[in-house]
Amino acid sequence: MKRRRGTEPEPEPERGCLRAWAAHSRALVGQWMTARCGGEARQVRRQQRDEFRELLLSIRGLPAALPTLPLELTVLYNSLLFTVGASDSAIKGEAEGIRQGLLRVLEACGACGQDLGMEELWQKVLQEVTMEELQAPLHRLGALQAAWWLAASRLGSVAGLFQLMSTAEDPGRAHCSEGQNKLLSMIKAWQVPPEGASLPLVQSAKDLKEILCTAAAFLQGLQELEAGNFPTALSLLQEAAGGFCSKNILAQIYTCLGCCSLRMGKPQTALQHLKRALQVDFQCLPALSHVAAVYHELGETDAEMQALTLLYEALGKNPPAAASSSPYFLMQTELLVHTPVLTSLLRHHHPSEVKYLLAQRCLQDGRVADAVEHYLDFLSLLQEGLQQQVPLDGSSALPRIPVVFLEAASALEQAGRHQDAITVCEEVISRTTDLIPRVVRVEERLEQPECPLPGAGLAGGLLSQKESLCCLAWRAAGYLHQGWAWAKLGESKEAVTQFSRCLSDLLRVQLHGSGIKQIENLQAEVEVLQKIRLLSLIGRGTQFLELGRHKEALLDFQHSLQISPGDQAAASYLVQALWKLNRKQEAAAQWQKFSQGSPGEDGRQQQGQGRPLPLYLVSCLEQAMFPHSEPLARSIQDYLGAAAQDTS
Amino acid sequence: MLLSEQDQFLSYNGEVLLFQLSKPKHAEEADDKTMNLCVRRMVFNRDTKLFVQKSSGVFSLGASHSKIEIICCSCTTDSRTGIILPCILMKNKKRNTVKYFLLLLHSSNQFEPSFYFKLDYELKEDVRLFAGPSLLWRHANKLFYISSNTCVVQSAPVQLSSVVWTGDIVGEGTVVLGIRTACLPETEDPDEFSISDRAIWGSEFFGYTIQTQKMLSGTCFMPHAYSRVVSSVYVCKSERLKKQLRISLVAITHKNQLIWFQNGVPKGVCELPYEKPCSVKPALTRRNDLLFVVSFASGNSCVVQRRDSLQVASKWQKVKSVLVDDFIGSGSEQLLLLFNDDADTDVLSTFKITDLGEVNYASGIIYKHDVPAAEGLQENGLLTVRALETRLQAGWTSVRELQQHLGLQKRVILESCRALIDLVEERTHILPNSKEVKCRRCLVSLWDDVENPVDSLGKETSLASEVPEHFTEELWHRVVGDRLVVGVKLTESFHLSLSEVSLSLVMDQDFSSISPIIKCQSKIIKLNKAFSALAVSSSQTEPPPKKMKLDLHRKNDLKKEFPKRSSRIQLDGAKTVTAVTSLSPLLAFHRVCCVVLLHARKQNHQNDSLQQSKKMTVLCGKILLSLEDISNDRYSVKMLRDNSYCTGSMEDILAVLAVSVRFSFQIVSCDCTLTPVSSWLLGEMECTPFKECQDNIFCHKAGNVHGTIFNWALKNPFEGVLTVFCRNLIVLFQCLHSLTRVLPPSCSVKLLKSGSKGVLTEQLALALEKEILTLKNSLFLKETKAESSLTWGNESGKKMNNAPLASLLDTEEGVQQFRKKFQHEREESVRTMNQTMNGALYQEIALKIAEAQLSSDMIVWRLA
Repeated sequence: MKRRRGTEPEPEPERGCLRAWAAHSRALVGQWMTARCGGEARQVRRQQRDEFRELLLSIRGLPAALPTLPLELTVLYNSLLFTVGASDSAIKGEAEGIRQGLLRVLEACGACGQDLGMEELWQKVLQEVTMEELQAPLHRLGALQAAWWLAASRLGSVAGLFQLMSTAEDPGRAHCSEGQNKLLSMIKAWQVPPEGASLPLVQSAKDLKEILCTAAAFLQGLQELEAGNFPTALSLLQEAAGGFCSKNILAQIYTCLGCCSLRMGKPQTALQHLKRALQVDFQCLPALSHVAAVYHELGETDAEMQALTLLYEALGKNPPAAASSSPYFLMQTELLVHTPVLTSLLRHHHPSEVKYLLAQRCLQDGRVADAVEHYLDFLSLLQEGLQQQVPLDGSSALPRIPVVFLEAASALEQAGRHQDAITVCEEVISRTTDLIPRVVRVEERLEQPECPLPGAGLAGGLLSQKESLCCLAWRAAGYLHQGWAWAKLGESKEAVTQFSRCLSDLLRVQLHGSGIKQIENLQAEVEVLQKIRLLSLIGRGTQFLELGRHKEALLDFQHSLQISPGDQAAASYLVQALWKLNRKQEAAAQWQKFSQGSPGEDGRQQQGQGRPLPLYLVSCLEQAMFPHSEPLARSIQDYLGAAAQDTS
Repeated sequence: MLLSEQDQFLSYNGEVLLFQLSKPKHAEEADDKTMNLCVRRMVFNRDTKLFVQKSSGVFSLGASHSKIEIICCSCTTDSRTGIILPCILMKNKKRNTVKYFLLLLHSSNQFEPSFYFKLDYELKEDVRLFAGPSLLWRHANKLFYISSNTCVVQSAPVQLSSVVWTGDIVGEGTVVLGIRTACLPETEDPDEFSISDRAIWGSEFFGYTIQTQKMLSGTCFMPHAYSRVVSSVYVCKSERLKKQLRISLVAITHKNQLIWFQNGVPKGVCELPYEKPCSVKPALTRRNDLLFVVSFASGNSCVVQRRDSLQVASKWQKVKSVLVDDFIGSGSEQLLLLFNDDADTDVLSTFKITDLGEVNYASGIIYKHDVPAAEGLQENGLLTVRALETRLQAGWTSVRELQQHLGLQKRVILESCRALIDLVEERTHILPNSKEVKCRRCLVSLWDDVENPVDSLGKETSLASEVPEHFTEELWHRVVGDRLVVGVKLTESFHLSLSEVSLSLVMDQDFSSISPIIKCQSKIIKLNKAFSALAVSSSQTEPPPKKMKLDLHRKNDLKKEFPKRSSRIQLDGAKTVTAVTSLSPLLAFHRVCCVVLLHARKQNHQNDSLQQSKKMTVLCGKILLSLEDISNDRYSVKMLRDNSYCTGSMEDILAVLAVSVRFSFQIVSCDCTLTPVSSWLLGEMECTPFKECQDNIFCHKAGNVHGTIFNWALKNPFEGVLTVFCRNLIVLFQCLHSLTRVLPPSCSVKLLKSGSKGVLTEQLALALEKEILTLKNSLFLKETKAESSLTWGNESGKKMNNAPLASLLDTEEGVQQFRKKFQHEREESVRTMNQTMNGALYQEIALKIAEAQLSSDMIVWRLA
């Protein structure tokens, strides 16, 4: 400009604001186009956002006028895109800028719409403003508005807007073909206004349309998935997978497709989708945890283990947060789709959770050595710090920590590391000591516990009671494990002591009312307690037998039969005790009674009818099995045979 | 400043002047109607932090039956002495006439009447005092002024709607900046952005110099557009550079903005925190910040700071008046804010002095520390903050550098990973048959070695009886542009047994002077029929469980397990051989009858192509070309757009493909899916798929690119191959240029030379295998014939093992190395055998080996 001033002595041509703004806008877009490939994209975005804001501010500093509106709306479009692109987080709230833009359009046309809602404002603008040169910028702005509404899951508003924008062009194409999604076909039918060279855009409306299509399909797919309409969800998600999106999003869509397929009962298809997700983006670790879950469902433990191991490794290698978005696009599908469903589907597992899952599956599958390793790894993770290692958001796969300890003890015991098992149990016992009241009264409640309207306090009370019962169960289970461990070590006296401690702890529970069944909410806990009691009694009985205190053993076995009539192990031990007491006739009678009463009935079968037993009790159950049923049966049969011969 | 309140404040030389109208205290001395104008000089005491009265003066206004008011006061230059003095405009209203008089206040607190005038209306709009002292005002869209020199009311010959500023401009004297309705120029530029501001907004600025009574252009102040919104202006600087006026100013607008203009161009905008700004004035504070103090009609005030950008630095409510001066005597200016305080009776009791920096005094605050100490402390704090700022800056810079470095590293790693994946994929994985069209450029048959075509023809036709009868399905010809395309469709069973297929055209008539062989170019084109990638049905059935390996890292396994979504329909394997020749030379003959000959090498399937096959030539038929037919467009290609498809016969499509230049591009996107490509094809390029072969799409876009055929095959969502069949390179350029605008910037586009790398590497492997086998077999042949007892095979087997094939075949060097090794081996074996050899046998062997080497060499060349 200076040079021009120097060479031209005559008054220079008037520099209009419109021309200056247009030049400024073009320069800014040009800057972005060259800068966006560089490394400092984030910085550039901020700078551009501020510059566009300033430009918009100066344009808005003058009264709205029709000749300047196309430029103003284009600057607004670019400015909004940079606002989105610079923040890099999901779009939230209303786009106030769009509202002001529309009001300016109305102002220029001599109308006003201050008190209208956004939907009505759009309707008014699109219906009343018919200036040809305003259509393209208005439509582009409409696409941005749609993005904002999509991000807020206001699908109805989006559909309405596209309806308005398409009726403006050709009303005939509004109806969509059979079976196609209405919103999607409406977005697709929208004709993208051509981009003029004089008003360049930082991201084309065509891109925006593609992004809207993907986001709309994805969002609706997720909604249908949540609503349980799986076939619809599947087709929508597949539509989304075919759309324009980044690797991250594609992997997420495939993951959702996998989940959808799984819920439709097609685990193999689910696996295919999940693998595809990983293929697209290996950082999509939720897909890997879903893979593990599918294998679990299919019962393919080896595959599940491998998946979990891989997941654990991957989690250790790179923090899952390092998801980089594309530096070239300001508006992205990522910014539009953020629903709770998606968040829960894509929940990142914490390494400690995966470790626990590995340990638990190993234990369930009987891979004791592996289980011990994993449990010990997990416990050492806990040592490093609970807060960092364990997600506390409630949706964790982790059980309560004492349960993990007990499971670890169970694994150690099965691996023959009895001393270690005892140590781990000691930990549980010492930690829970202060948490258990002297007496836990579990009472039958006359009023239905299902009506918690006024009874918030009541519910709270129930909750704390439940908590007490849990603590009691853990502690008792700790003693039980210790008892069995000592028994294995041949220290029968020590074992008896531990079993007795267990039993005396269990006496703190006082069941009132007509039985256990009434207490619906606490039934699970009470059942567990009963089971522990049974196993403890059998355990102590066996140790008494070892010590030769047959009478005390007999008493324990009788008690255990009272708790669980028909328990095969208890019955067998009872017979053995009687036999050792030389009460052979009684023994034979009992034996006959049990062998007839429950042919093939098993303690575990009995268990299968009710709730599944906590994992940490499974090993105790196995230990409580009667080991010498064959020789006992033979000797009793011999005896019976001899007796028959005697009588005959 | 149209304050209706009685009290007027004015800052003057660091003092605050308070003007008050009052009745005399001694009522008996004068009658009721006498009024006194009092002035009180207040100075700020830094010890007590209060304003104290320094001196005062009284001016008696003997007015009867009248109402006296203070209109405004200001500091202006007294033209007699050049000293700036406070002056005050008073109004005395008597019935219909209003008498105005201006008083000057001297430092001795004496008032001096400067001039007076009478009007039959009241001054209301845009009343301004300026140097002289002079006064101007606007009435009925006209500008009036009076000065102490003339004492006569004058009017300016302009119509105006408002005055936004009055003051001195260098070289012009006192200038009034006003706004008036624009007088529009008639001509309008056709360019969409060249509509002038005046045309858009309908008003303009103008400058009027009082002394010379001439008009100045408003554009050196601000663009005319702002004349619609500007309410007040303060000119900060005016200078002349090469006769051009350069003005810096700040303006406030009805749109609640404060705008900074330099040389008529807006340089900064700031949104004001309150509605209806009414005045703006600058303040230069200690830190050399230029502050703009904006007063609002609502009684609020704010300060805008100008650093990198304009920002609201502070704001206050219920402000009676804001004065700017050096009140504390520190050498720079401060703001004095006087607040509205209903209860307080004493003047200047509720105030605040600030420069938005270290100076802060407010009434009602008891200062514990001594001022200097406090100032020192503030100074220290400021220094600390500055140091911290610098450190922050430095830290920020280094963090950014680190980030940059990290970004670079990441990019390098990503790039290497991608390269690695590519390498791995290319080598171990055969590209899926994503190529629906396979054009293989074959031999260019020139046939100038044929001496007697008719004779050879006779010989060949006799040969033709050996081949099965239905080897060709169809013979056709088309005219595309200025070229003739002849096509022969081969039956599937037939073409499988052939290799090196080509066509030649021989004129049937005998023109003795011209060679009957027509120069033409042969191609083999294979089209997959009637399959569309669009018509994918997502499989709804659950696939059977598979034995899956869990090495998820490896993509190959995955690919095997995921069948392509576009499950291929049975290929229509019919191949067509085409010959393209220039049409114009043929036209010279008026009517031409051509014999179409097919040359091929028949493969011997019995022992897997190890035996060299026999060359053969087959007569396919004759074509007849006449000028009438060509003139009537009988053989021209017809491509029609039918809804969403392009209809054209298979022959038409093949003819277009045959004359087109084929380019394949591998498009890889690293972070987003490649859907823009297909939307570009179907949208911008207006392409429609052929009804007959839906993988190929025809471009209907008007212009040069019309008629281009594309084939877009996606390998996965992030990688695909775009094949372009275009007339010439300009068309290709146009297509690619258009494509690059659509593709995400992160995409890479790579030209694939003559078939994909994967296919070529496979071919190379096969050729090399063939080469080895040829060598081996021939040697064995020799061996058996010579009945040598040496065990050559074992040794070769051993040698083969210690040269891992896979690692060698990757590069040209590898191949060369491999060959060297082999040559060495051959020599060695020959030496070990040390046998004589039949000359004919040797010749045969040498020929075969040379042929095999030639073919592998060819592939290496293509691959390079």
